[in-house]
Order: sequence, then C-alpha cells, then structure tokens
Amino acid sequence: MKSRKSTIILYLLLGSSLMIAAQDLSPTEIIRKADEKFNGEKTSTSIMAMTIVRPTWERTIEFKNWTSGKEYALTLITAPAKEKGQSFLKRQNEMWSWNPTISRLIKLPPSMMSQGWMGSDYTNDDILKESSVVNDYNHMIVGEEEYEGRLCYKIKMVAKEDAAVIWGHQVRWIDKKDFLFLKSELYDQDGYLVRTELGSEIKPMDGRLIPTRIELIPAEEENQKTIIEIKEIQFNEAMEDAFFSQQNMKRIR
Amino acid sequence: MNNLKLAWRNLWRNRRRTLITSASVLFAVFFALLFRSLQLGSYDHMFRNAIESYTGYIQVQQKDFWDEKIVDNTFPYDRVQEQQLLADENVVAAVPRFESFALASNGPQTKGVLVMGIDPEKEASLSGVADKKVNYRLTAASIARISQDPSLPEKVKELAPKFENNAYTSASRLQLDLGIKDKDAVQYMPSIERYTKFENGSIHLGEPGVWVGDKLSEYLKLGLGDTIVLISQGYHATTAAGKYEIKGIVKLPLPDLDNKIVYLPLDICQELYNAENNLTSLALVVDDNQEKAIAETVERISTAVSGDQRIMEWREMNELIVSQMDADNKSGMIMIGILYLVIAFGVFGTVLMLTAERKREFGVLVAIGMQKRKLASIMTLEMFLIGMLGILAGALVGTILILYGVEHPLIFKGEMAKMWEEYGMEPKMVFWGIDTYYIWQMVIVALMVLLAIGYPIRKIFGMKVVNALRA
Repeated sequence: MKSRKSTIILYLLLGSSLMIAAQDLSPTEIIRKADEKFNGEKTSTSIMAMTIVRPTWERTIEFKNWTSGKEYALTLITAPAKEKGQSFLKRQNEMWSWNPTISRLIKLPPSMMSQGWMGSDYTNDDILKESSVVNDYNHMIVGEEEYEGRLCYKIKMVAKEDAAVIWGHQVRWIDKKDFLFLKSELYDQDGYLVRTELGSEIKPMDGRLIPTRIELIPAEEENQKTIIEIKEIQFNEAMEDAFFSQQNMKRIR
Repeated sequence: MNNLKLAWRNLWRNRRRTLITSASVLFAVFFALLFRSLQLGSYDHMFRNAIESYTGYIQVQQKDFWDEKIVDNTFPYDRVQEQQLLADENVVAAVPRFESFALASNGPQTKGVLVMGIDPEKEASLSGVADKKVNYRLTAASIARISQDPSLPEKVKELAPKFENNAYTSASRLQLDLGIKDKDAVQYMPSIERYTKFENGSIHLGEPGVWVGDKLSEYLKLGLGDTIVLISQGYHATTAAGKYEIKGIVKLPLPDLDNKIVYLPLDICQELYNAENNLTSLALVVDDNQEKAIAETVERISTAVSGDQRIMEWREMNELIVSQMDADNKSGMIMIGILYLVIAFGVFGTVLMLTAERKREFGVLVAIGMQKRKLASIMTLEMFLIGMLGILAGALVGTILILYGVEHPLIFKGEMAKMWEEYGMEPKMVFWGIDTYYIWQMVIVALMVLLAIGYPIRKIFGMKVVNALRA
C-alpha cells in the first residue's frame, strides 16, 4: 500500500518536474539546444551540396565543412572541377580564403561579410558563422505554431545593441520535440523581410534527427533561391584547434 | 563699268591704305578659320580615339549588357551570324570581344582593372592594339648609356633624365621629347633607339599571356615576364581566378584606359570567366562612318540579330564624350563670337579712318559735280574689292597653314604633355581639313565688311560740301 502510494507520488513528482522542465526552458535555452543540435556541441564534420537557383540558370557546388565551436571553421570546395581546392578559414574574428589556381591567400575584410558566398544567397557570415544566434540576440517566445505538421515554438530574436550582426531581428520556428530549426524569417534593421529559410527532409544523421535540406529564399528577388543539402555529417569528433590553420587550408583534401 | 574702273584706280592710288584695310580683313578670316579648324579637328580626334581604340562605330551586344555590364549578360559567339553581319556592304570586319572587370594584383599592389579578351589579329582592324605596343623606354639604364655616349649632344643628355621611365610607341615621339631636330635624327637616333629599345612580345589565341597598359604596369610594378594575378566573378557566379605572364606592355592614347587595361587572348579570357564561347560584344568596323551611312547599316543588319541581342551605335556608347563635346562646342562658339567682335571693330576702325581721311576728297568730288549716289556706289565697290581681297588672301594663308597642320599636328612635349595627360587627353592638337566651316567663316567676315560699308555711305549722303571742303 505504502509502496503504491509512494509510486504514485513519485510519478506525480516526476511528471510535474518534467512539465516544469519543459515550461521552464527559456527561449535562449531553446535556441541554444537547436543550434547545438544542428552544429554540434563541440565539433562537426560535414559534406554538403549547394545549389544556386537563378531565373535563367542553376549550378551546384559541393563542399566539405569542419567546425569547432563558434571559433573555428574550415570549408573546402570539392566540385565543380574548376573551383575544386578553394578553401575558406575562420579563426575567431578573422577570415581567409585560399585559391589554389593563383596560389593566393586572401584575408576577407569585415565589409565582405554580408556579400554572397560563391555567388549564392548565403552570405560569408552565414557560412563562417561569425555571429551567434545564441549570444548576439535577445530571445522571446511569441507563440506556438504548427509547421509542416510539427508543433513549433515561435521565437523572436532581436539583435543586441552592440552585436556585430547583419539582421535586425529574426523569427524562428523550432520543433518542440526535437529542437529543429524548421523555418526562419530574417529581417533587416528597418524591419523588412530579407529572406526565409526552410528546413525539410528531416532524417537521422550520426544518431540525431536534423533537417538535411535547407532552402534559402531571398524576399526581394523573384525565382531565386539557394538550396543546401547535407549529405553526411558527424558530430563531436575529436579535432585539434591546430587543424584550423592557414597551412591546413592549402593542404586539406 | 566706269564705276568699277574708278574704284579699282582709287584702290591703287593709295596702296598702303588699301593693303592695311584688306590686311585687317585677312587676319579676321585667317584667325577665324584657324580657330575653327583646331576646334573641329580636336573633337574629331578625341572621338576617333575613343571610338576606334575602344567601342567601334557599331556593336552587337546581349540586350541587357549595356545597362548591367556583367558576364552573365553575354551571348554565344555565332560564326553564322558573324558571316551574315559581314555580308553587309558597309561592314568591313567583325571584332569579337569579352570585356569584364577584375582585381589585378602583384604582391601587395592591387587595382581594379578592365579585362578585355580580344582576338589579336581581328583587333588590328579596329583598335590596332598591336601598334600601340611600347617600343622604346627611357629606363635608368638606358639614360645612363645615353649620358655615357660621347657622340650625343649635351642637350639630349640633359633632357633624357627628365623623362625617366617614359614609354614610347614611336621613335618620333622619343625624338621630340629629347629635343632632337629632324635634320639631326639620322645622326643621333639610331644609337638612342638602340639604347632605349624595349623588347615587347605578342599575345596569341590559345596561348595564356597578357598585355597590360603602361600606366597600369607602372602602378603594379610589373614588367615583361612577370606574373599578374586576376581575380573576379565569372559566368554564373563562378570564381574567376588566374595568373598570367605579361607578354607585352601597350601605351594607349587615352590615359584613362591606359591605367586600367589588361588584354587577354579571347579564348583564354573566356576560360578565365568560365564563359564557354560567349562574347560581351561584337564590334563592327565600317567602311563609311558618316552618320547617315551608319544609321542605314544598323537598319540593314537588324535582321541578322536575335531578340536577345541589340545593336548599339557609337553615339549611345560614348554618351559622356558626346555631351562633353557638345558643351565644349558651345563654349568654343562663344570664344569665336568674341573673336568676331574684336575683328569687326578692327575692320570698322580702319574703315572709319579711311572715311575721315578722304572727307576732303569726297567734298571736292561732289563740289565739281559728281553725284553722291555715284560716289557712294564707287565707295561700295572699293570696299567690296578690299573685302574680297582680304577674304581670299586670308583663306589662302589659312589654307596653307591648315593643310600643313593636318599633316603635322601639334604635339606637346614634356611638362605640358603631362598636364594634358592628367586631364585625360592626348597631348595633341589636330587640324580639321577644308570643309563647309570655311564658307561660314568667309560669309561672316563678308557680312562684317558689308556692315562697315554702311558708315562711309552714310557719311557721303549726309555730307555738307562746304564743311567737307574745309576739312
């Protein structure tokens, strides 16, 4: 009898604590979880394909990507043949690009951060993750909405005053169960929608569920978008910081 | 007939007076002609430089290229279409081009440049870049050799260091800068040419290599055999990057172009920009470049271009120069107006004196029974003859000078030349040959003489014989 009662109490306690845990999750926490889920808590190694879609043409670029925390990132183009071997490195706040055809290492000035990467709708900032969705914004939950049959948190992120980010604010739809970025709307400082990002084809990758296809649609341009497909991704493999070096940029295959 | 005889005799009765009066008319015609000739010649020269070294008279382009000069706005080089265009009676040659911008660098030196992919052989019929290769250069070493040569005059040795690092496409320009007279050229130039010789190479289709503008090479500190690195965005947002050996250095007459031009063989350029077989423009060389002929040609070839292409004329492509020239033409007209005013007063002053001088003579003639009307008509004939004499003599002297000037344009040298070049102009003043403007200048001067005649006529009719006799 006693044991049954205590079991019920235990269940009740457990249940309520779980509920509290879910309710207590702050919006910043939700964003952090989703961000870590997608980018890895420590490191990530991935193979991706990017398709640039324009009104009259489209083309695909394949690349490998290594990241370690927010500090380090290395990207290597693997296709098409003409552009193969180009690499991009980020160390803390500095960024370089290496072009093997001309054997030149070029430092990217901060002014180029908002420019398209490889002619796509992704900016250099997006690829190299200079800014952080966790640290550079104030977050607040503005509601719950269903997106593609999944219940989502709708979170508004407003850029902090001193943060070096190119967006004024963002609205993100994050899957409540699996913490996935399913939809994001990015607005400029004047509050105009600049682009929409849609995550789809949710698949397990390296033991976790993530959207493997991300579609980026600029608001102002018609018939224009960029699609990223994640072909392979490994999370939290051991990686030395020394891996992210200028020497390695030129060497890596 | 009698009147004419009298007028003629009157003219040569006082030879000096006649000559002075017609001389004032002569100068009027002479200066007006010279001024206009230089003005028209310079416009034409500037036009030719811009058109012939760059745009050509007619171009076929992708329809959006002119408004947005990006490599995506290009069209495939179609040989069949090229043949159709060449079939036109006025089209002499079609010159394929691929133009774009790039960042050029050599070590820490970087500059935005204009990249032009050309077919070096076909280009000869339009911009003739091959003729603009640098052939002589006053390097420190060549100046040292000049100063050590005992056979060269001191003046040359003094002048040479002032033009250090100057590049020359022709020996005659070098000769001018070094202050060597034509008659001494045979004696001195061969050794100077040997010292300053600049061995320039060529670019050919299928062979990687570039020509760069002289000023650009100076800025990037690049010489023959060095490597220039080009980075840009290519066709469909690809990365365009390449390094090329500098095969030659060219000196273009437009300094604005000279400090940013890089020539690549067409196919190498298309490869750099991943542009397959595309062109940004097909420039057409025409036989008759009169505006009417060009308009007719455009009309005829419009059937040979597709809906994705458009035809552009030189006027549209050189809008800036056209409006600049229009503005300059207006200010030139004001200048010439002032010149006419000065000349008109000169002629009028001479006529005034002539009338005052002959007041007594007129008085006597009327007193002994000559009709005032007859006197006035003789006077008019006299003035007419003086005017004709002045105008014809002025036109003759002007023509001699202008014809000489057409063959030998004024070329500035030294500091003056540098100043002109800094303004983006070629340091050269060109004369315009005999043309319709001649008639206008002569008509205007003739009108001034006609106006001046009014004064003595009035004087004659208003003359009080008694007063005139006492004068």
